[in-house]
Amino acid sequence: MSQVFTNISLSALLYLLIASSYSLIYYPTKFFHIAHAAVVTSAAYLVYLFSIQLSIPFPLAIVDGIATAALIGMFCELLVYRPMRKRNRPPLAYMIASIGLYVLLQNTISLYFGDDTKVINTAEISVGHQIFGAYITTIQIITICVSLVLFVGVNLFLHFTATGKSIRAVSSNPELCNIYGISSNKVILIAFTLGSALAAIAGILSAMDTNMTPTFGFNLLLYGVVAMIIGGVGSTRGLLAGSLLVATAQHLAAFYLDTKWMDAVTYVILILFLIWKPLGFSGKRLKKVEV
Amino acid sequence: MEYVLHLFILICFYTMLSQSLNLSAGFAGLISLTHAGFYGIGAYTTAILSTYYGFSFWPSIPLAMLISGFIAFIVSLIALRTVDDYFIICTLGIQVILFSIMNNWMELTRGPLGIPGIPSIQFFGFSVESKIPFLLLSLFFVVVIWLLLRNISRSGFGKTLTAISEDEIYSQSIGKNVYLSKTVSFMLSAMLASIPGTLYAHYISYIDPTSFTVNESIFVLSIVIIGGLGNLAGSFFASAFLVLLPEALRFVGMPDSIAANMRQIIYGLILVAVMMTGKNGVKEMIYNSRDNTSRL
Repeated sequence: MSQVFTNISLSALLYLLIASSYSLIYYPTKFFHIAHAAVVTSAAYLVYLFSIQLSIPFPLAIVDGIATAALIGMFCELLVYRPMRKRNRPPLAYMIASIGLYVLLQNTISLYFGDDTKVINTAEISVGHQIFGAYITTIQIITICVSLVLFVGVNLFLHFTATGKSIRAVSSNPELCNIYGISSNKVILIAFTLGSALAAIAGILSAMDTNMTPTFGFNLLLYGVVAMIIGGVGSTRGLLAGSLLVATAQHLAAFYLDTKWMDAVTYVILILFLIWKPLGFSGKRLKKVEV
Repeated sequence: MEYVLHLFILICFYTMLSQSLNLSAGFAGLISLTHAGFYGIGAYTTAILSTYYGFSFWPSIPLAMLISGFIAFIVSLIALRTVDDYFIICTLGIQVILFSIMNNWMELTRGPLGIPGIPSIQFFGFSVESKIPFLLLSLFFVVVIWLLLRNISRSGFGKTLTAISEDEIYSQSIGKNVYLSKTVSFMLSAMLASIPGTLYAHYISYIDPTSFTVNESIFVLSIVIIGGLGNLAGSFFASAFLVLLPEALRFVGMPDSIAANMRQIIYGLILVAVMMTGKNGVKEMIYNSRDNTSRL
């Protein structure tokens, strides 16, 4: 049982990291940036490219991977979403365009690296450390620490720095921000860069733990999105509660039913929330749900 | 020649799928990602009925439509509470659930092993095994669905759906039952999607869940958007284009393994381009039509 508990906290923190990277982009832009999944995947594959194919030292490869993934996120915003904003496209169009971008990026990865499973963690496989009767590997400990630090860091950043405050300002009213001299375009670009970098870290950590295929980012992202919707958009505690709930439900399903039902259980929870509590834990009105 | 006929049959399948999705996505504005799920329900219904219970093809079509319509009704109870991007996320979730049922319910669907040995269609004692009769049969269904959808789009119900997708609250205020119309269009679109499913199962004679994934749903939705929302002929041309695209790529000397990915890259690009310009489908992009009628 303590193993289940360890697994729950590990996944919860990973989903938390994904959800916070995603909400960083979702708050100011208000649309579902599905291509974020491709950013998650591409970061892991870029680390593979740099460290194994180009044999750059591993720490440097990770930094390069994160930077390149952040660039991909920036290019999505600069080349696609910003021109769309200029043309005043309706909100749904952004989501469809991001689905197109996802298909584009994911297949570029498949094309270059192939569809088979890749391994970036070249360290020797060991049993792992034993804590309270549960086994945990070094990379899982790193995942837990990094996710916690980054989650706290993002929240401090959003509340106590000028840039973070301007992201929150744009989230609540972009037009008023433009009047007060905060360029919403610039702020959104910063949000995309930071969000993509965070997503890249989550993708690399997850790929080091469980290996990767070109589509692994999509599931990971959807868990993060579900956590964000369940938690209620725009609330820190909601994100925490949402990721905990998703991770708990998944691992209990794996424990009592079978691991193959993990995905279905996640979406059943999402649907139950959309029916009975469409505003999520935080109760903030979304306007889009419940017309 | 066999291969060319195979391509034509595929075009028929995708035409039926995309036109049926066009009813809910194009006319009613319900952009759904569950379509591959309903396609799969059709295929699995006929596969289970014909291999386990010895049903023939003809009674299994209405049964598949009924089951698919019933599931669509349940789905609409859930999904229609949300709108716009939440609707897409919700239908995406339902698609994943349907896929995971097909993939994991071993007793019913045999999971990833799939169901082999689906018999070919019997037609007045004449077995539709070779490609040409099957193509004719698919064409028959294409024509039936096309005519049906065309008549629906010109009927009062079709106009109501267009009105709802343009302004929901206004159509409600002039006495249109928004919720009922949405439910009916969603169910109808799911029922029609199960028809190519049944045909597909009898055609390939072996089905497994990998044909009914989220990617397939995204592909069908892309066909609808590339062809233009509410444009039935557009859906047909877009299916023909996307089915023949890998062949064209192979023709210019691209290896097989690359052609499949290239097709997806190209349709991803077209999707982004259509969304960026704000035209309704590629046709308007090419002719550069001035009237910006697209709702997307």
